[in-house]
Amino acid sequence: MSTPVITAPRSPYARRKTTRGNFELYGWVFMRISGVVLVALIFTHLFVNLLAGEGINAIDFAFVAGKWASLPWRIVDLIMLWLAMMHGTNGVRTIINDYAEKDRTRGILKVLLYSAFVIVVVTGTLVIFTFDPCPAGADPALLADFCKQL
Amino acid sequence: MQTHQYDVVIVGAGGAGMRAALESSTRARTAVISKLYPTRSHTGAAQGGMCAALANVEEDNWEWHTFDTVKGGDYLVDQDAAEVMAKEAIDAVLDLERMGLPFNRTPEGKIDQRRFGGHTRNHGEAAVRRSCYAADRTGHMILQTLYQNCVKNDVEFFNEFYVLDIILDKDLAHEDVPEGEPVSVAGVVAYDLATGEIHVFRAKSVILATGGAGKIFKTTSNAHTLTGDGMALALRRGLPLEDMEFFQFHPTGLAGLGILLSEAARGEGGILRNGDGERFMERYAPTIKDLAPRDIVARSMANEVREGRGAGPNKDYVLLDLTHLEPAHIDAKLPDITEFARTYLGIEPYTEPVPVYPTAHYAMGGVPTNITTEVLRNNTDVVRGLYAAGEVACVSVHGSNRLGTNSLLDINVFGKRAGVAAAEYAASAAFVDMPDDAAAGTIAELEAMRSRPDGERVADLRRELQESMDRGAQVFRTEASLTETLAVVKDLQKRYGRVSVQDKGRLFNTDLLEAVELGFLLDLAEVVVVGALERKESRGGHFREDYPDRDDANFMVHTMAYRRGDAAAADAAGIPPHEIRLEPKPVVVTRYQPMERKY
Amino acid sequence: MTATIEQTGPATSVGEVPTFEVTLRVRRFLPEGPRGDESYWDDHVLTMHGTDRVLDALHKIKWEQDGSLTFRRSCAHGICGSDAMRINGRNRLACKTLLKDLDIRKPITVEPIKGLPVIKDLVVDMEPFFASYREIMPFLVTSGNQPSAERIQSPEQRAVYDDTTKCILCAACTSSCPVFWTDGQYFGPAAIVNAHRFIFDSRDEAATQRLEILNDKEGVWRCRTTFNCTEACPRGIEITKAIAEVKRAMITRAF
Repeated sequence: MSTPVITAPRSPYARRKTTRGNFELYGWVFMRISGVVLVALIFTHLFVNLLAGEGINAIDFAFVAGKWASLPWRIVDLIMLWLAMMHGTNGVRTIINDYAEKDRTRGILKVLLYSAFVIVVVTGTLVIFTFDPCPAGADPALLADFCKQL
Repeated sequence: MQTHQYDVVIVGAGGAGMRAALESSTRARTAVISKLYPTRSHTGAAQGGMCAALANVEEDNWEWHTFDTVKGGDYLVDQDAAEVMAKEAIDAVLDLERMGLPFNRTPEGKIDQRRFGGHTRNHGEAAVRRSCYAADRTGHMILQTLYQNCVKNDVEFFNEFYVLDIILDKDLAHEDVPEGEPVSVAGVVAYDLATGEIHVFRAKSVILATGGAGKIFKTTSNAHTLTGDGMALALRRGLPLEDMEFFQFHPTGLAGLGILLSEAARGEGGILRNGDGERFMERYAPTIKDLAPRDIVARSMANEVREGRGAGPNKDYVLLDLTHLEPAHIDAKLPDITEFARTYLGIEPYTEPVPVYPTAHYAMGGVPTNITTEVLRNNTDVVRGLYAAGEVACVSVHGSNRLGTNSLLDINVFGKRAGVAAAEYAASAAFVDMPDDAAAGTIAELEAMRSRPDGERVADLRRELQESMDRGAQVFRTEASLTETLAVVKDLQKRYGRVSVQDKGRLFNTDLLEAVELGFLLDLAEVVVVGALERKESRGGHFREDYPDRDDANFMVHTMAYRRGDAAAADAAGIPPHEIRLEPKPVVVTRYQPMERKY
Repeated sequence: MTATIEQTGPATSVGEVPTFEVTLRVRRFLPEGPRGDESYWDDHVLTMHGTDRVLDALHKIKWEQDGSLTFRRSCAHGICGSDAMRINGRNRLACKTLLKDLDIRKPITVEPIKGLPVIKDLVVDMEPFFASYREIMPFLVTSGNQPSAERIQSPEQRAVYDDTTKCILCAACTSSCPVFWTDGQYFGPAAIVNAHRFIFDSRDEAATQRLEILNDKEGVWRCRTTFNCTEACPRGIEITKAIAEVKRAMITRAF
């Protein structure tokens, strides 16, 4: 006999302090807008990386280095990183709110989530801005063509 | 046991109770005690509308409305009360609109009005558009709007509290209190369903607004909870009940279920047919046929079934035929009705006729009050501080047959009056002493029922009562059928002394409360049947086959039923023997002399 | 446990209501009973008719087999909103669910609605639900003097909020919402529906306040548009659409 298990009766509830402010509203709108922008960015990214020119065969260190040598590409990727991380983090925050029943669990999960966010965003941003397309002493075969002119 | 003290206590949170609460809570400290959450009350089941001579769509005035009400009630209406109701109807509708009720609108944005059975222009010339409505859920919107305003005014509710006794300062049930001597209310005793605890409410004013008692019948449009609590409590405390023999049977209830299909179905062109497919109303009312008044149609339907021309395997219902109407028309005008037929009988009204049979709908009688809603303890004296409004009361604005829409009007007009009057009385009156053992009787009764190890089952007794009432005291009544039913009721009252409940717990014991409610039903059924036996005439909702004509010479009076019991002579089962005493009360006639009732 | 649909009794004539056997599996919780705070399933085999509803089956159990079975009911035709419960895992009104429309070959499970504290058997504490309802100011707010006659409202203006006036506060929607299940902090669909009824009423002047209340952390933004509520509503209200309209009103107000 298989019947769904029901949790034990809960204690009476009391609504927690209300939060007035537009955070949730902006969060909701942000998810919609960032979602649309991300779709455009990601498909552009996929097209440029996988289809355009020689397609997937062209991807190597030199290809990435070539892209990040130009400022516009760096900005595009930076926006993509930030939006994707914010969008994803907010999404997971929502899921935690929906599914974590205890405040403690909720707190722990959110600390983990925000830490992950900070680590990824900070390191990612650092990489994009401090990226050196022609590291000294590297095998020239792996580097982009323009490194030879240096 | 807990004790509370309020200026005004309102028993019941339906339309009348909440309308009263809105008035009294702004004037006095008020508590509303209800056996249901307020939005569960049966006011919400009303469909058609609420009549008021707003004259938004055509010429109309309140005097015509008064006349229609008097004529509809077969002249047993107290005409001063009908006049009050028709006059104040206009403000009652406007009050509701200002509270936020979403009435349907005319193209100009005013409250729209439509026609309804029995409401006419210029004393019967033609149908008039008088009923203000909110789609086909006017009652629902009234109930919601009143509750919303109670939330706004922060009215104090005691939800799922059953009032089980009314405390007066004199024992009217066992002593003869001379006319003119003051009698006052002290409060009520209530049972908290959630905990099983008894609460005593001291109050300067008490308003009864407990609704009807349709559950004395088997086939009824009434809710399971409509067990006439307020009426029975008044009766047991020695207060009279007025005109209880008049019960309205609505012609078109879903067969076997009693769920109401609004009069609008016939208004839109629906036809009643018997088992042979014949449009039988042509024989009973050749001119207006299916749109004859409710009592006439109900009797005609019952007669077809009785003479073997019913439809169905047991030939026990007739058919409401909508198949000749365009499906689009049905969808636009009768969405609820068709949904009921589909949901409950699995019948598609586009293509199949719907089985219908008369269903017990409304108690015209109840606790007698004057036009300020004060409860009468005889033909002239009021009980100080005790008020009643709505179906529980008998003002009497409905006489022997209520007009459609006038019940929603009744609760609003007299609910408001009760709230104002109760609060004003409380402002000047003092609390009446409440005896220390006020709740003792109630507690003893509950404990006896709960602790009885085994005995009669509540459901068996209730079923026997309801079946017997349907057999003997329904649309057709005769000396023989009523006598038989009375014997059944008396026997059931004896057996009631032996009922036991299976649920012995204290928390949320609905088993116990069903047993208590059965006691109310038995007491009221007895009054209905005794009244019907004594009224040897046919008038409005009361039809005696052995006396098929109206008899103004002998019966143009209200019936006041008193129950007198002698506790000292209690029999072995602990049930005090009692008797129902009937007395006449004159009808108030102002403008309209009785005429033959023709439409 | 097997249930059969075979005809009991003699062959039925045309149009006669067929009878059948059905097993009702009811979730019991009797804090005063021998099993205390443990909740358990209770099976009852019943002979029912084709026109019977789940409420009739529950009454049959209560009136003929076990009087301690506890549930709320009143009008018995889908108007009062007392008997919302989980029937075969779906929120419905017991008085609007015909047995024959369910799969009667298998036991029919009946449980209390989820997310509200159970008091006894199928009865839950409705206070949290009504508390949410009361918080959204479910009443008409106007300023200035009352007009002598009615306020003017065109049929078109009235049509805007017609759908949400149908609500009977049965809690079928709120207790079907997965967001409400977790901690009960979410206002829930029913409260939003009733806010919608006033926000879009042309006579009302407190739309801003209601929108602010629902802009709360536990307000409309917690709606995940799972459509459970719309599916559960016994009155056929398009609840998810109403919630979307409230969201849109907030966004147009904020930008």
